[in-house]
Amino acid sequence: MAKYILRRLLYLVFVFFIVSIIMFFIYKSVPGDPARMMIDSSKQSVDPERYEQMYQAAREQLGLDKPLPIQYISWITNMLKGDLGFSTQYRQPVSQIVGVPMGNTIMLNLVSMVLVFLITIPLGIVTAVKKNSPLDNAVQVGTVVGYSLPSFVIALLFIFLFANLLPIFPISGMNAPGLTGDGFNVFLDRMYHMALPCLVMTFASLGGITRYVRAAMIDVLRQDYIRTARAKGLREKVVIYSHAFRNALIPIVTVLTGWLVSVFGGSVVIETIFLWNGIGKVLYDALMQRDFMVVLAMQMFYVIITLAGNLLMDLAYMLVDPRVKLGN
Amino acid sequence: MKKALALVLAFVMVFVFTACNNTPSQEESGKTQHEVGGQIVVGSVTDLDDNMMDGWTNGAQNASIRNLIFGYAPVVYTKEGTFEVDPQVAESVEGVENEDGTKTFTIKLQKDLKWNDGTAITAKDYVFSILLHTSPAYYALEAQDTMTYANCFTGYDAYFNGETKTFSGVRLIDDYTFSVQIVAEELPFHFDIAYASIAPYPMAVIAPDCDITDDGNGATISDNFTAELLQKTINDTEEGYRYYPTVTCGPYEFVSYDKTTKQAVLQVNDQYKGTYDGVKPSIEKIILKSVTDATQMDELKNGTVDLISGVSGGTAINAGLDICDAGDAQYASYLRAGYGQITFSCDFGPTQFVKVRQAIAYCLDREEFAKQYSGGFAQVVNGEYGLSSWEYKERKDVIDSELNSYSKDLEKAKQLLIEDGWTLNENGGEFVEGVDKVRYKNVDGKLMALEINWANTPNNPVSDLLNTMLPGEMEKVGMKLNATTVEFGVLLNNMYRQGIDEPTYHMFNLATGFVPIPSYWYEMSTDEKYFGSYNQNYIKDEQIEQIALEMKKIPADDTEAWLDKWVEYQKRWNELLPNIPLYSDEYHDFYSNKIKGYEPDGLWQWESAILYSWIEE
Repeated sequence: MAKYILRRLLYLVFVFFIVSIIMFFIYKSVPGDPARMMIDSSKQSVDPERYEQMYQAAREQLGLDKPLPIQYISWITNMLKGDLGFSTQYRQPVSQIVGVPMGNTIMLNLVSMVLVFLITIPLGIVTAVKKNSPLDNAVQVGTVVGYSLPSFVIALLFIFLFANLLPIFPISGMNAPGLTGDGFNVFLDRMYHMALPCLVMTFASLGGITRYVRAAMIDVLRQDYIRTARAKGLREKVVIYSHAFRNALIPIVTVLTGWLVSVFGGSVVIETIFLWNGIGKVLYDALMQRDFMVVLAMQMFYVIITLAGNLLMDLAYMLVDPRVKLGN
Repeated sequence: MKKALALVLAFVMVFVFTACNNTPSQEESGKTQHEVGGQIVVGSVTDLDDNMMDGWTNGAQNASIRNLIFGYAPVVYTKEGTFEVDPQVAESVEGVENEDGTKTFTIKLQKDLKWNDGTAITAKDYVFSILLHTSPAYYALEAQDTMTYANCFTGYDAYFNGETKTFSGVRLIDDYTFSVQIVAEELPFHFDIAYASIAPYPMAVIAPDCDITDDGNGATISDNFTAELLQKTINDTEEGYRYYPTVTCGPYEFVSYDKTTKQAVLQVNDQYKGTYDGVKPSIEKIILKSVTDATQMDELKNGTVDLISGVSGGTAINAGLDICDAGDAQYASYLRAGYGQITFSCDFGPTQFVKVRQAIAYCLDREEFAKQYSGGFAQVVNGEYGLSSWEYKERKDVIDSELNSYSKDLEKAKQLLIEDGWTLNENGGEFVEGVDKVRYKNVDGKLMALEINWANTPNNPVSDLLNTMLPGEMEKVGMKLNATTVEFGVLLNNMYRQGIDEPTYHMFNLATGFVPIPSYWYEMSTDEKYFGSYNQNYIKDEQIEQIALEMKKIPADDTEAWLDKWVEYQKRWNELLPNIPLYSDEYHDFYSNKIKGYEPDGLWQWESAILYSWIEE
């Protein structure tokens, strides 16, 4: 087991370096000049010679005056030392920029994820057990709608319903403007502002996982051992939750691990519409502004998270299904 | 004799802008001081970040905050569109032309200026501002050059390059007087008084224990002024001035910025003396927050936002007007100081010929274009100006009557092309309408096709609309428009010709904005070093260059001469047509009913207009 984990970790390091090289050169080949974007706002207020001086200084500052392989070595060395680079957009170290939005994104995703799993797993089980019942049909229709509608449509619809028509929640933002008060009041206000984006994210995610759990459960419920369990005279609850659901967990673990990884990934749409200061929007803005150090740092972070997530998933498989032997 | 004459001349040419110590109070300026109170929430579709000091980021919301919390420059830009001495700040600003061609501006400050913490503002804080913004220590913090005009001060290079700690062109004369000397190469310059527009920075906060002395050779900052010091006082994320500018002197003071929610809170500065015309702000608290295009009007209606400025586009404006019609809000509209345009490359291909550029203009119904693009909330101009510019207002009759409006006229377009020699077909025979599709012309013994390569950007409604309205009409007169959609960065690379060996595109579409001090003399310079970033058209026309250079040299107080030359410039520009102006938005500011006296303008934006407003609940 330890040997397997060690081997996977070595593989992770190897993949990380290969991906870092590919990503670095891809971003370097993206059209657009980060140095010029960094100083362009000064153009109208300086004379051309000074502008050229500023441009060259910006190139030097960003290391763009050096050959690409040297730029890569310098970037990866600094990154391994914890220096994620310098953001041309915010003119701050990248590590200083991503912390707060990442925290906001994790908070929103975690709450939404908990809600999604609390709703979808029981719903999936019930609809599988009561397959083709009116309840099942209603849930199928509802989840298809949630699944098919783009999240920005759901967001705007929910804003209209719950912020305009029935003004229950605020339209956007993370706190009431100019809010003062103790930590608890601020927390409550934050939760209040988080409610609507959380509802939208939950609603948009219900369809996928409910249907996934339902399908897995239906598969398991058809198995001979379920028939045997029922024939033994076990209570239906025991059959479903102890026998069927535990076996249906195996495919669900894959989804759950995927979700855990996505906790770190922001949604540009939700964050933009609800003005939730999350990492998705930071990443999108960085791409638009050719702020490649931010993009590269985040991409490499996601590479690590994804690789670690895969490892975690394999280990989780082993835990939920004793038949799975890792490394063989 | 020569020396004496020069001295006399220098004396005669002393150019005194003096306020004669007449500081207008609010009562004297004829404006009523309303009771200070209330708060407003200002929404903006531009994100706010934590850089409150200039030098790092330049987002619109951050710029607004800086305009509100920093101030007391001796020379200010007024609502009337002129640079004036601010009598609240300076007793006098004197410009003296020196024997060697340089010019010295001596600024005598009022003695009652105070920071918001109650400490006195002296000339040292002004001199410190220059020494800070041009120092190598400041650039070591990855700051951007924001005091860009300081490179026109004598001794800039030596100080900026760190060769000396003395800035010879900046003098600390006494506690309330300092001067700056402008190098001869930059003079004469119509806007030279703007060189005296220097805002103070609190030396006691940013460089505690440092000192500035002047032994007669220029202002010298002490040796303990280092990058390490600034790293601590400016760049520290917990208490650095860049993030927490708590000591300032503008109409408002910084209270807080929440990194998590990206909201900033400002509060009225009790120590503020008033604007140049003696007005003190009446709204006690301003909160800045972000809004989205999709929901900004809902926020206004629900009362979570009190002011949204610079709204453009038919959908958003109509939504706002509906709220106003229902009596839930008010609005003010003004014309944007800028416009969307077609930019031509004037040095190669068909667009190097004036008549081709003019013919393209005749193929486009610009009135209809502006109407469709903006939903009726935009206007068309015929030169390099905005309809809100003071020059246009002064010379409206001449400009409106004498500039060619290039109203859509395909016959005229055809006639221009024929006059210009586009009379051949691809085989060199005569172009026959209805048979041949593209006109050709013999250029230096070779046939040149009348094909225009146009670079545009994706997801751009202007590009989409041009694509609908222009190619078909151009085809009717024998022109072909080859549209290529590229990323904005690629478009700029091609326009500036950075990393481009052989230019490909004859035409681009993008927007431009006007600033109080124009750069016609760089934009129309025939000197190749200005090509690309300034002269984006690569146009070489000595006549317009000459007009622009003459404008630059017009004395600041000769308004009539400036206006005459400005008209001359616009006429020549209109004839050369390096760009085709497409639409100038009619911006709308929507605001809640509790805000009174709010009057914004194209170059007088919300942060200026709000100083004159008050709250009536």
